Amino acid sequence: MAYISMGEVHRRITEYLNGFADAVSSQDGGSLARLLSLSSNSPSLLSLADALNVFQDANRLIKQSDKCSQFAEIIVPLFRSLQNYRLGNLVDAYHAFEKSSNAFVQEFRNWESAWALEALHVIAYEIRVLAEKADRELASSGKSPEKLKGAGSFLMKVFGVLAGKGPKRVGALYVTCQLFKIYFKLGTVHLCRSVIRSIETARIFDFEEFPRRDKVTYMYYTGRLEVFNENFTAADDKLSYALTHCNLLKEANIRMILKYLIPVKLSLGILPKSCLLEKYDLLEYSNVVLALKRGDLRLLRRALQEHEDQFLRSGVYLVLEKLELQVYQRLLKKIYIIQKQKDPSKAHQLKLEIIVKALKWLEMDMDLDEVECIMTILIYKNLVKGYFAHKSKVVVLSKQDPFPKLNGKPVSS
Amino acid sequence: MDESGHHRRRNRNPPSSHSSSFTGTGGFRRRELSSHPTKSSNFVSSTSTSSLNNSRDLKQIPNWKHRRNSSQEEKGEEGGTDDSFTPVIGTCLFMCPEGERTQRERLRDLAVFERLNGDPRKTSPDLAVKKFCRTISNKYIQASDVRPLPVLEDTLKYLLDLLDSSDHPFEVVHDFIFDRTRSIRQDLSMQNIVNERAIHMYEEVVKFHIISHLKLQSCSGSNISSLRYLNMEQLTKALASLYNLYDLNRNVNSVFENEAEFRSFYVLLHLNSRSQPMGESLSLWLRLLPSSIIKSKEMCFSRRVLRYFRMGNYKSFFCTIAGEASYLQYCIMKLYIGEVRALAVSYINNCCYKLHPYPLTHLSKLLMMKESDMESLCNACGLETTADESGNKLLPTKQTTFCIPKEGFQSYDLLGLQEFER
Repeated sequence: MAYISMGEVHRRITEYLNGFADAVSSQDGGSLARLLSLSSNSPSLLSLADALNVFQDANRLIKQSDKCSQFAEIIVPLFRSLQNYRLGNLVDAYHAFEKSSNAFVQEFRNWESAWALEALHVIAYEIRVLAEKADRELASSGKSPEKLKGAGSFLMKVFGVLAGKGPKRVGALYVTCQLFKIYFKLGTVHLCRSVIRSIETARIFDFEEFPRRDKVTYMYYTGRLEVFNENFTAADDKLSYALTHCNLLKEANIRMILKYLIPVKLSLGILPKSCLLEKYDLLEYSNVVLALKRGDLRLLRRALQEHEDQFLRSGVYLVLEKLELQVYQRLLKKIYIIQKQKDPSKAHQLKLEIIVKALKWLEMDMDLDEVECIMTILIYKNLVKGYFAHKSKVVVLSKQDPFPKLNGKPVSS
Repeated sequence: MDESGHHRRRNRNPPSSHSSSFTGTGGFRRRELSSHPTKSSNFVSSTSTSSLNNSRDLKQIPNWKHRRNSSQEEKGEEGGTDDSFTPVIGTCLFMCPEGERTQRERLRDLAVFERLNGDPRKTSPDLAVKKFCRTISNKYIQASDVRPLPVLEDTLKYLLDLLDSSDHPFEVVHDFIFDRTRSIRQDLSMQNIVNERAIHMYEEVVKFHIISHLKLQSCSGSNISSLRYLNMEQLTKALASLYNLYDLNRNVNSVFENEAEFRSFYVLLHLNSRSQPMGESLSLWLRLLPSSIIKSKEMCFSRRVLRYFRMGNYKSFFCTIAGEASYLQYCIMKLYIGEVRALAVSYINNCCYKLHPYPLTHLSKLLMMKESDMESLCNACGLETTADESGNKLLPTKQTTFCIPKEGFQSYDLLGLQEFER
């Protein structure tokens, strides 16, 4: 570290303290936010950190400052956190930051208007990010990573502070989203439920009042939950909301939304164009879409196998598996169309053995019994209109609309 | 707000002042028991991915690894408030602590299996087994009331041997073993025993619950449905603890030979189409599973079975089961087989040509049933069966009276898996 003179050290510390006090007195949330944003690695914060690591008596300066002594409980641990952060002691940095944040939240409660929301949001963000870093440090030294869990508890408290009648309540959705990120990362997704309930049923919240960015993130996560639970209509609503309200320039975010929206739409019989898949680098779905278009069962199974790990990790595998029935429908429709061209009067009768043959061409070895079984499923679930004549081993299609489209509704169960 | 307050309690971490070798755990806390026993909160997946290097340094307790990450909900259920964070080290050398034994003698609170020569007032150290106690504050636990690992292992073996006894109806045997194994799990939890020997014990307990799950189907009695319900509850809890143990003990070199099969049970429990039995969605659970487990034969089997079930593909469902199910997998699936069969009947009835009644011989073969059972099932579902001139039984289709029998499905035999049938 380069040498810093005592004068320079004092200057940096005093500059920060003044900045802090001024931000509070002029109710400048933006400036205050910048002063708290540790992980941003801004040059001013880093240079402050260096100064603090040289000069070990910053507490005295804080207590001596007229303007800042009242914020000692916030700033003292904040400085400690900054020092540790700079030195790479992430667990200690987290602890100190949490302490500072606690004090900040106490102060925040006393401020009447919502001017400091931006700063509070930075605190919420930093708590999560620092906790993640701290957990990584713990895990790499063989200890149990539990800071992120603690961050979750802290944020629930913050949520509680914001969940009131005043103007601060519009900040609650941001904190909710931070909580979602934590719970998804930890795998404790069931904990999302109570926050969701608060947002959606508490009378103090009006969803439309929240900032657009937060609404998009919220709908993204709740949409994903619906995907996990295979509630396709709800998932479609939420993820589509996120998509339509998402800033078009945020391509990475759009990609994330599409990753989950596409399987949902496929389940509703809606196929994406290949240019969409290309633009947002979602080519893992290409063969799935192609299989649906072609009625190619083999291709679907291969695509699922090829990307099995990826689909399992994102939690869409079971959704994609279900698409088989639609692929069968498409295959039958193709056979029907070919038959119609040859002999329109007999086209509506599909012999079971023809279907078995078609499947054999696709290297799918199924016996008559299994194909018969599949036919009954398709008819029962209204993917095929008609009936099955067991004795003659023929599927007799209805003359009108024998292959009803899904029309945005999932296959009936 | 109430909700956030509730969560504050659940997620609170132990204070950092405690030494690291025993903590990382939340101790015990009286769990906020939800009224729905199979709520997802039973399944906090372990977040620990670290290797447990430090535990090897605990020389004073050679075989025990100390839990580095807590499964709050599971431990909390096994007892106690979160007053202390130091696990107890048990010293009770009997299956039942002496104090409890004499007290229960006095109170005549002895189960049938614990009575000396049938005398309800007398027991012995060889017969008395510690009961499960729902609320124990950590403050009042005495080491002399807690059984150390070797004693717990012997106790478990003794209990499971009782399963073979035919002197009493199964419900009675089950009830006793149910309670006493729960107490064993409680003792394990209190002492924070989370090593491989705990894994073996939990596997045995899960096996017991699975077999009970099957056998209780054919039992009767006034309290039988609550026995089934409670058994399912403990099955899912024990399974959750077991999964946690697998995660905690996982390192590069070890492979638990039974893990794949025991993981497959989780998938098979989702054959219950009516609710999410395990609370959490299966997709979510699969996300966090190590790749080696997902690719295992047992997991592939169970996933395939589930896929056929969800699609309604009764033909492949039965073929697959006939081919590959293990006994324990069969025990779990048996319960849902009735539903699949009724589904098949429903499909056939709905989709087949009215003028071609469906031959029951054929259907019963597909559904792996005796033809007579096939007929009963159709009737139970409100459908008539007929016969042709040669006496072959048929199911006329397009009947409008199909319904799922309200009392559930009678458990018909599964032909082809007779070696699994009692």
